[in-house]
Amino acid sequence: MTGKNRTAVTRRTLLVGASSTLIASRAWAQQPSEVKVGLLVPISGLYARPGTVMREGAEMAVDHINAQGGIKALGGAKLKLLVLDSGDTTEKAKNAAQRMVAQEPDLVAASGAYLSSFTLAVTEVTERANLPVLTLSYSDLITDRGFKYVFQTSATAGSQARQALPQIIKLAETASGKRPKTVAILTDNTAASTASAKSMRESLLAENQLQLIVDETFTPPLADATSLVQKIRSAKPDLLFFLPTVISDAKLLLEKMNEFGLGQGKVPTISFGIAIAEPDMLQTVSPELLQGVLTCVASWGAKGHEALIAELKTRYKEPWMTQNAISTYGDMWVIKDALEKAGKADRVAVAEALRSMDAGPSKYYPLGEIKFDEKGRRVGAGMTIVQWQSGVPVTVFPPELALAQPFWPKS
Amino acid sequence: MTVPQLRSLVPALVFTIAYAAISLGVTNSYYQLVLTLVPVWAVFGLSWNLLSGYTGLISFGHAAFFGIGAYTTALGQIYFDLSPWLLIPVAAMLGGIAGLLIGFPTFRLQGHYFALAMLAYPLAILYVFEWLGFQEVTLPIKRDAPIAYMQFADPRLYTLLALAIMLATILLTRLIERSRFGMALLAIKQNEAAAEAAGINTLAWKLRAITLSGAIAAAIGAFYAQVLLVVTPQSVFGMLVSAQALTVAMFGGVGTVWGPVIGSVILIPLAEILHAEAGARFPGIQGVIFGFAIVCVILVAPEGLFWKLRDLLRKRLAPKAAATLDDSQAPATTVTASRPARQRAANGEVVLEVRNLSRSFGGLKAVQDVSFKLHKNEILGIIGPNGAGKTTLFNLLNGFLRPNQGEVLIDGRNMSGERPHTICEAGIGRTFQVMRPFLRMSILDNVVVGAYVRARTDEEARKLAADAIARVGLSAVADRVAGELSTKELRLMELARALAGQPRILLLDETLAGLGHGEADEVVAVIQQLARDGMTIAIIEHTMQAMVRLVDSFLVLDHGAVITEGEPEVVTRDGRVIEAYLGKKWMAHAPH
Repeated sequence: MTGKNRTAVTRRTLLVGASSTLIASRAWAQQPSEVKVGLLVPISGLYARPGTVMREGAEMAVDHINAQGGIKALGGAKLKLLVLDSGDTTEKAKNAAQRMVAQEPDLVAASGAYLSSFTLAVTEVTERANLPVLTLSYSDLITDRGFKYVFQTSATAGSQARQALPQIIKLAETASGKRPKTVAILTDNTAASTASAKSMRESLLAENQLQLIVDETFTPPLADATSLVQKIRSAKPDLLFFLPTVISDAKLLLEKMNEFGLGQGKVPTISFGIAIAEPDMLQTVSPELLQGVLTCVASWGAKGHEALIAELKTRYKEPWMTQNAISTYGDMWVIKDALEKAGKADRVAVAEALRSMDAGPSKYYPLGEIKFDEKGRRVGAGMTIVQWQSGVPVTVFPPELALAQPFWPKS
Repeated sequence: MTVPQLRSLVPALVFTIAYAAISLGVTNSYYQLVLTLVPVWAVFGLSWNLLSGYTGLISFGHAAFFGIGAYTTALGQIYFDLSPWLLIPVAAMLGGIAGLLIGFPTFRLQGHYFALAMLAYPLAILYVFEWLGFQEVTLPIKRDAPIAYMQFADPRLYTLLALAIMLATILLTRLIERSRFGMALLAIKQNEAAAEAAGINTLAWKLRAITLSGAIAAAIGAFYAQVLLVVTPQSVFGMLVSAQALTVAMFGGVGTVWGPVIGSVILIPLAEILHAEAGARFPGIQGVIFGFAIVCVILVAPEGLFWKLRDLLRKRLAPKAAATLDDSQAPATTVTASRPARQRAANGEVVLEVRNLSRSFGGLKAVQDVSFKLHKNEILGIIGPNGAGKTTLFNLLNGFLRPNQGEVLIDGRNMSGERPHTICEAGIGRTFQVMRPFLRMSILDNVVVGAYVRARTDEEARKLAADAIARVGLSAVADRVAGELSTKELRLMELARALAGQPRILLLDETLAGLGHGEADEVVAVIQQLARDGMTIAIIEHTMQAMVRLVDSFLVLDHGAVITEGEPEVVTRDGRVIEAYLGKKWMAHAPH
């Protein structure tokens, strides 16, 4: 791209932006009613459950923001949440995004779209429409494309694995008194699991002086976990990294572990991602089997969120607050802050506000600040480690967010 | 191209232009995206139709080609910085190669087995791409050369491009439909064995079809990646993608160029409208309504909307067709049924000689040690009770079965064990006991299939077909569809199809079966005329009556072996023949 071109485009967009704001501000002056914010998540199909939880988080945030006086810089304008269904395929997600930008020209920002592949497709559309999008998707690719209108609030997949391993080792050391040396990896072959396992195999295990003694990849759904568990039993690793995506696989393996006398923490089991800590787990797996299982996730209901967790419980009957609820809740507040900073209900201005935002320590995402680097990644984005304790996955790390003390199963 | 062929392209052109005009007027980028996806899925449906619609071999795995195309554009841009303008043709090439590689082993299977095997390919490739680490691939944004990299700011250009691909695919399909290629595919769909017997190298044509089909699917997959900008194994190799091809084609109509287009024009926008309107209120309801709508249409129009509408239209025009029915019966009846004064040719040149031919199925000796000679211009009747091995003998003669031992000499050359289409080329034509005509096609189109073994051009084939139709006396009804014909006319049509390949020897398998008395006489008259014109004929029949007046000599089979042979007058008095047909107790009544 030539420099000349870029200025031309910017100038034009600025002009368009300015004129539309002019019209908009006049409109606001007459009628400071509402500002539209989009939420593009799967609410039908295979991923409807997490998408619904994201909607619950967003609805709660919008209600809270409006109850506290709306957007003050816009004369107390209320936020209005617009939910669009991204469906269960990349094509549907892209179509929904196109519909969103084509038919909601006064949208100022959006959040979405759960799966990384959906977010990638959606942001291809929103980038071209200059609509800022906040996302909890992990894929490094999302913010590696040089896009200006996408903001990643979670630590990226690569960063999460890097952060998690030292913490797990530290946790094991403090709890059990000795440093783990050997690990086993059991992973399915889905995108997210493969990416995490790959980074561990290639460098992270070696960097943390861990020796990989069992390495098994399976295709979900598992028919039988016996052979996998037998390998674990004969190798006796200090840690087991278990990366399922399908709940039935998690159930099958945990039950078989128990049957072989390896369960309930005899071999400490660590997962990545949200699958093993979803409320649906309890419908098929007993809390005893899950006791002590750890998982590393981008975000979770944590210390300081107690009131929110309670409200989510009473309002939506959700047993606990997953990353999907708390992250999306946070997204709405970040958009609100950006609107206050921009001082006008205009997507380009809101994006600019997000880019230059520096709102101090993060309240709803783990660690770091409400500030985005030049790629659109949240500065200092941390992660949480969650442990199943008495039938509830609770945040046990980092210490400043922990709702409970982690325990290390005695072997 | 001839004028009527050009005229047949008019609807396609008019449709494309109208569609383009509408899409140019749409400025909403979302509607525009939907308008782009309609031709995309139509082309994918057309590519499926080219293989499965015409040959009847259902492919559940067209996503394999689609995905290969999509990944070609994505990876080609990321790793080699090539333009999609170049990558789409490259993708088509790779898709064609994939088609060939997949087709070669898979065409050994038929029916459900073929369909299931096809299902496996995209699923297997999906895992390969996941294993390679291509779970999520995004096309790099090219801000400095958007046109060179097919990244248009104006979404209407995507629609126009998709339309251009669709028009090209429609024209190509039309061209194939009317050529030897299309006829071969249809013949395979009707009866693969019969197609081989008509001189069609079925494997070669099927491979051509899957190669072309794979190329088109890959090209449109490549374009689709350019529209979607993100490629994941699920989104291009997934089950839903393969299903999409089947859905649009089966909804619209299988085996016609308009089917996938109609299906796509209705279903794609419908799915989107439901998603946008119903889905916003009741998430997931869109899938239920969509599925229900498809079920209803398939129940009402199992062959697709196109054929249903065409049948309705035809029914409305039916009275007019009935009026012309009466005089069309005339030609076949004008030939007299009386025994012609034809010199018997039993001592002429031997054109087909069978030596010690045997074939057994397990313990059953279907044909044992059969030898006979067929002289030029002779009519040989092969008779025998049911299960005597007559049809097995024909199958050995024309190559469907390989003999366990023995020889089949055509003009002195041993042809036993050759493929049927090779034997057909050597000059043996054959008809079948069970008729399987294309009921929706005209007689001429039904017959032209048989002509390609001799004809070099489509035009020549049509001429040969017309000649053959004239020889059996069906010229007056040549343009009627086969579905409206009587059994007699269908038998004559079958005969014409075998004649169209200009054989020197005709094998007729129970050509008189199922015909009434008068009708049989008419067919007999046609066969006699053929013999007068120099044809050599072997005919199977188990009823003797009509045969006695027709044939020059009989070959009588029982339990797979020759009982006797000779002139009709002698054979019908032969005690062994009477015993074979009627049992021992009738022997007493036999004239000695």
